[in-house]
Amino acid sequence: MGTTVALMGDTTTTSDDEASSGATAASTARAPFAPWDRRDLPGMFSVAETARRVGNYKWTEMKLFEALGGWIATVPELDIKMRLGAHCYHHAWHADLWNQRLPELREMKPERLTVPANDAIVRFIAAMTEPEAPELTIEKLVGVYRVLIPRFISAYTYHRNNTSEITDAPTIRSINFILQDEFDDWRDGEMMLQSLITTPEDVQRAASHQAKLETIMVEAGGITGPGSIGGSSSDGS
Amino acid sequence: MRQFFPVEDLARDERFVQTNMAERLADTRNPMEPTSKRKSAKSRSAGNRLTPDRPDASDRARGLMHGIMVGEIQALEGAGRTAHDFEAGDGSGDTIPFELKLDMARQAWDEARHVEISAKLGDWMGTELGEFQENTVLFEAACSNDPVLRLAGVNRALEGLAIDVFTQMKEFGDLAGDPYLEFCEDWMLADEVTHVKMGSDWLRKVTEKDPDRRTKALEFQQVVDKLFSFGGARGDHEESSFKLARRFRELAGFTGDENDAINKLGVDAFNERSQALKQAQDAASAFADA
Repeated sequence: MGTTVALMGDTTTTSDDEASSGATAASTARAPFAPWDRRDLPGMFSVAETARRVGNYKWTEMKLFEALGGWIATVPELDIKMRLGAHCYHHAWHADLWNQRLPELREMKPERLTVPANDAIVRFIAAMTEPEAPELTIEKLVGVYRVLIPRFISAYTYHRNNTSEITDAPTIRSINFILQDEFDDWRDGEMMLQSLITTPEDVQRAASHQAKLETIMVEAGGITGPGSIGGSSSDGS
Repeated sequence: MRQFFPVEDLARDERFVQTNMAERLADTRNPMEPTSKRKSAKSRSAGNRLTPDRPDASDRARGLMHGIMVGEIQALEGAGRTAHDFEAGDGSGDTIPFELKLDMARQAWDEARHVEISAKLGDWMGTELGEFQENTVLFEAACSNDPVLRLAGVNRALEGLAIDVFTQMKEFGDLAGDPYLEFCEDWMLADEVTHVKMGSDWLRKVTEKDPDRRTKALEFQQVVDKLFSFGGARGDHEESSFKLARRFRELAGFTGDENDAINKLGVDAFNERSQALKQAQDAASAFADA
């Protein structure tokens, strides 16, 4: 087995190594990483960069749960009204997870980093929350479930796949819980939208509103700004 | 989206008919029959309390369940609005603590489940959505621009009322041999105790250094409590439709004195209503004699 692992380029201690270091068959001395544990130490983000991203996540999750909460009274469709109540809490819980993570990233005043990534994100939230009239349920849902939540899924996935699996394990754990909610909520939202979009005019409304919001989001570069999913920031590419 | 949302703009589909308190009390499907007209003082149905042996038990239970459902819709909307309407801050002015916003979001989810539960229970009892009118007074109480008044009016006064109502409905389910109803009410009751406790805890914290604000909030709570005593229909006295669920209220942060005060409000309101009824009867007799 030790030979096989060596051929695969593994640098962890193997059972052969243990034997040569004096461990006997009855010894409980084991390598610090089990053969199936392939986690890597290096990660793409420093503590400060992680805190910055987490602050952006918290700010945007807050804006999302506030919007969902506020819209409940404005939506006449009873099933959607109730789903918004459940989803409102999901995003509040995400904001809470990030609020708890910030002091662990050396930010003792979490509100200092609870900020939008840039001005375009602020404009995005303003445009997303603009629809209020009861006949605008499609626009409300499009903004959340076809633009913002897909952006959350991509930013969180990028973060999870690029941060250190060992030093930043708490962030990964939170992201995994959060991503489960995001996928479930996205599916709920998409199904609500499909049930509301029943005419070519509805399709046009949804597409037009999505394009308007997506344009602002592209300008923002995503939830944490340029580099939200890598590629164009100095630290994340 | 506006910061504050007026009650008249609450979004509903075409099945719902909204009304106010005065119109609701005039709804003949919710009769408040004088005790003297009932056949036996020993019967469980001798008082105004909802019991399965009342001839009108089915309609009253259906009406009450529908009232609970629309109340839960408004509670959902109110909690969502409180999560939305106020910025996170230190609790002064128009701000509320971040953790209070989180609690309101949690309450929104709880209330959404309560709408689901009561809609299913209503269906189970044979009621159609919109069959009874919707009284929007609960959301009006939730609409205050002062978050502390919302805590007092909604979380303590109205959610406190929900503790009393759910305790009674749970008892009704037990007496009627309906474990489905009893089971659901027990779960909703657990959530309501949590919501009232949230209100009690946050009211104390947010007004810790502002006794005037706390006094004003507690006065507002009394106003809402009196409004929702339904002319004395709630309290420990025999004539009350809803008994105070003192044990659960204490779990939720009400003191014995506060419960006594709510009971007294009910007794006073009942006496006022009895006096008004007597005056009306006297006037009618005088008119007939003339």
